[in-house]
Amino acid sequence: MEEFLATMSKEDSLTYELSRLYKQWGYKEYRMAKFEEYSFYSDNRDFLSSKGILAFNNSDGRLMALKPDITLSIVKNAKLSDSLTKLYYNESVFRMSDSSLDYKEIKQTGVEVLGNIDEYLIAEVLGLAAKSLRKIDKDFVLSVSHMAFIPSLLSELEISENTKKDIIRCVKGKNIHDLRSICEKNGVAADKTELLSKLAGINGKINTVIPELCALACNNEMKTACSELEFIASSLSKSPLADRLFIDLSVLNNTEYYNGIIFQGYVEKAPSAVLSGGRYDKLAGKLRENTQAIGFAVYLDNLNLYYKKKREFDSDILIIFDTQSRSESLLSLVESFVDKGFSVRVEHSIPEGYKAKTVYSYENGALREVTAC
Amino acid sequence: MLNIALPKGRLGDKVYELFASIGYDCSEIYSDNRKLVFENKENGVRYLLVKPSDVAIYIAHGAADIGVVGKDILEEGDFDIYELLDLGLGKCNMCVAAPNDYVEDFDRPLRVATKFVNIAKNYYISINREIEIIKLNGSIEIAPLLGLTDVIVDIVESGKTLKENNLRVYEQIMPISARLIANKSSYKFKGEDIDRLMEKLTKELAK
Repeated sequence: MEEFLATMSKEDSLTYELSRLYKQWGYKEYRMAKFEEYSFYSDNRDFLSSKGILAFNNSDGRLMALKPDITLSIVKNAKLSDSLTKLYYNESVFRMSDSSLDYKEIKQTGVEVLGNIDEYLIAEVLGLAAKSLRKIDKDFVLSVSHMAFIPSLLSELEISENTKKDIIRCVKGKNIHDLRSICEKNGVAADKTELLSKLAGINGKINTVIPELCALACNNEMKTACSELEFIASSLSKSPLADRLFIDLSVLNNTEYYNGIIFQGYVEKAPSAVLSGGRYDKLAGKLRENTQAIGFAVYLDNLNLYYKKKREFDSDILIIFDTQSRSESLLSLVESFVDKGFSVRVEHSIPEGYKAKTVYSYENGALREVTAC
Repeated sequence: MLNIALPKGRLGDKVYELFASIGYDCSEIYSDNRKLVFENKENGVRYLLVKPSDVAIYIAHGAADIGVVGKDILEEGDFDIYELLDLGLGKCNMCVAAPNDYVEDFDRPLRVATKFVNIAKNYYISINREIEIIKLNGSIEIAPLLGLTDVIVDIVESGKTLKENNLRVYEQIMPISARLIANKSSYKFKGEDIDRLMEKLTKELAK
């Protein structure tokens, strides 16, 4: 199997490997239709990472959308169990692409847990996110943040919503110099500015940075978050993955939907995050009463670009046969190679640019090795 | 190895001198040739010389780890990058400029010529003023003189070009200076190297 996976593209092999990982952890595959009513997505537009929604009219005139997001659809439609609903998916989403400036089909895989989310589940999902990243590249970083810090501090400040947006933009960009000048311009107290700057600048391994972070906790929300982070750090402390988990409070998501832990995953060869997730009780509660949720998505698009597989051979064996001669025994010869695990292509002549480890010509009922191409 | 994207031109020269002064020199950069990539393995740096407006694009796509770019370019684009330091070099202002005798007519949308379309749009949204934008790529100062637009939105350094064209600063939008930026993924994996460079830069700039 491993040999077979090695021949697949990064995207295809990951789809298989991640599905296997999630199944091993007891998650059930969730399948869904490619489209849903447009109004559902337009009502929750702020949750979508891309603003464009590809819409069309169906046969009865209803405006439909090709799914721009999977999480929304799962939270709305999944059949909830009495206990926990643990799902994984391999789906396509249709979003506006930054590079092509047009809609693009993007392959996504991910997990969602719905129900009563506790600290163990948060640690399990974070662990799964880290394991998913390790499947992509052993050199990975999972940046972990918590909505209780910077958003809760901002909610205490008497500043306009636009100023809060400007500050959040600075935090996301680790832009402390502009953050300080915006705070000063808008009359934010010096001690709060200092605290915001320190929180935004925190960046270190989860095991080592938590004491520094918790020393800055100044309200109950932050203190609860600290105890949650301490539980996660201690749960994962014996795992080799722990070394790859970093606290980075510059990771921020929409406060209308997300609460609690949020995270983003990076691998060395990709220039932007390849995994994103977090706890979204606010969205879940909006769509399903008394439901909490946590999950993440792995963006498989572009991974083939960053993790190119060098194509050595198109197949193990190439057999050239003459159409003029009788070839009754050829099929059984090919089958015997395939049964032994070789990939075989049968052709009338060598296709242009084709590479095979061994090339045979089939003549008079027998194979004769010719110079490899 | 840190890949550093520098803007070609005066600002790039100043920034290189600053980097060289803190131990990231690459003397080959002074050689008179058309090369755009210069490397000093001992210092662990590779400089890429690119068009100023492209620096942030190279960084956002991970073709370079860090770079130096004007705040105007960052505000005009929407780049998913870290903006780590204000280098305080290349200081100027993004301004609205108008003819010396200009009197604003609030009964109609304001006509604005600029190459900084997003900056102009965002500024006028922030003050709730309806505008019509005409995007130009150069010699913006001519637009109000020919009656093409009422005002321009552009970078003002000394104000000399405005003065020579009978224009004056009408409103100031934001101060501009060179910023050190980093690719988000690079910062995760080369954070220690980048932080070390930042620390040295901060000390040098404080002198």
